[in-house]
Amino acid sequence: MEGLKMDFLSSKALEDKSTIEKISMIIERVKDGDILVLEGSLTPSEEAELIETTMREIDIENFVGIDIHTLEKDEKSFFGFSKRKTIGLTIIGPANVMKTVKKKSNFLSMIAKIGDSGASVH
Amino acid sequence: MNNFFIKLLDRLLRRKKKVKIGLYGHPNSGKTTLANAICEDWIGKPLGVISDIPHETRSVYKQEEVVIEKDGAKLYFDIIDTPGVATKVDYKNFLRYGLSEREAKERAKEATKGIIEAIKWLDDVTGVLLVMDSTEDPLTQANITIIGNLEARKIPFLIIANKIDLPESSADRISAVFPQHTVVAISALHKENIEELYMEMVKKFR
Repeated sequence: MEGLKMDFLSSKALEDKSTIEKISMIIERVKDGDILVLEGSLTPSEEAELIETTMREIDIENFVGIDIHTLEKDEKSFFGFSKRKTIGLTIIGPANVMKTVKKKSNFLSMIAKIGDSGASVH
Repeated sequence: MNNFFIKLLDRLLRRKKKVKIGLYGHPNSGKTTLANAICEDWIGKPLGVISDIPHETRSVYKQEEVVIEKDGAKLYFDIIDTPGVATKVDYKNFLRYGLSEREAKERAKEATKGIIEAIKWLDDVTGVLLVMDSTEDPLTQANITIIGNLEARKIPFLIIANKIDLPESSADRISAVFPQHTVVAISALHKENIEELYMEMVKKFR
């Protein structure tokens, strides 16, 4: 039976990696059909780099791109007066596997499709 | 002679003030429709071809020397209409629009190149109109990535809540998701509220 592999990476596992190393590692695993759950987030320039690299790697038949979702959490400021949102988790997976994603404040639910690689609508 | 110097000064000032405004957003959010509306209003001709099929714009289109004049203030700029940014491109999505498999695959291939080109242009634009389809959920990775990069690069931008002519549109949802940014609700297709957009553009980019 075909299964779904999920890799969980702590922020510690990523902090010493360069942007290229991070992107290569993500793309390699996602192209293998894995879903990655990262603690924290990528920087905006890393996200742009990830989209660029994804576009170069799309091969029409087998790899149609990625889906990225983030789970945010509220964090109080230093004085506790205001709240700001920070990204707690980043989930990255193949677009043809990650199907339904429901997102609410502090909650994220995802249905992954195993086996059939039917097209998903952007 | 005086006229000559006035014209020269005007040209020098224009050059200094001219900005490059990129239209960014998802495929089918209405970027080219908006670029056409702006070009029709201020140049007298449209910029690009629009269609219902996603990724119609697959390379960057540029219109130089556009001038918007509002309440005596002028904004000189170039319009850069970029291909829609997405994290995935599946040729099968194009088949439902009646394209043949060969055409759909070709379109998908070109779309991936277009997305790379759009991202590269972030290095060159000095202002951005981030166009969102107000009938869709605005909290997408493409929008988040574009906004994150604009903030990091300190590029001024306006969020355009487009397609407000459609009954299911909700510009308020976009304002609620991005409360810290200016959101202008328009229908680029019907040029609804477009004057307010011009005013905001002059304020933001001049």
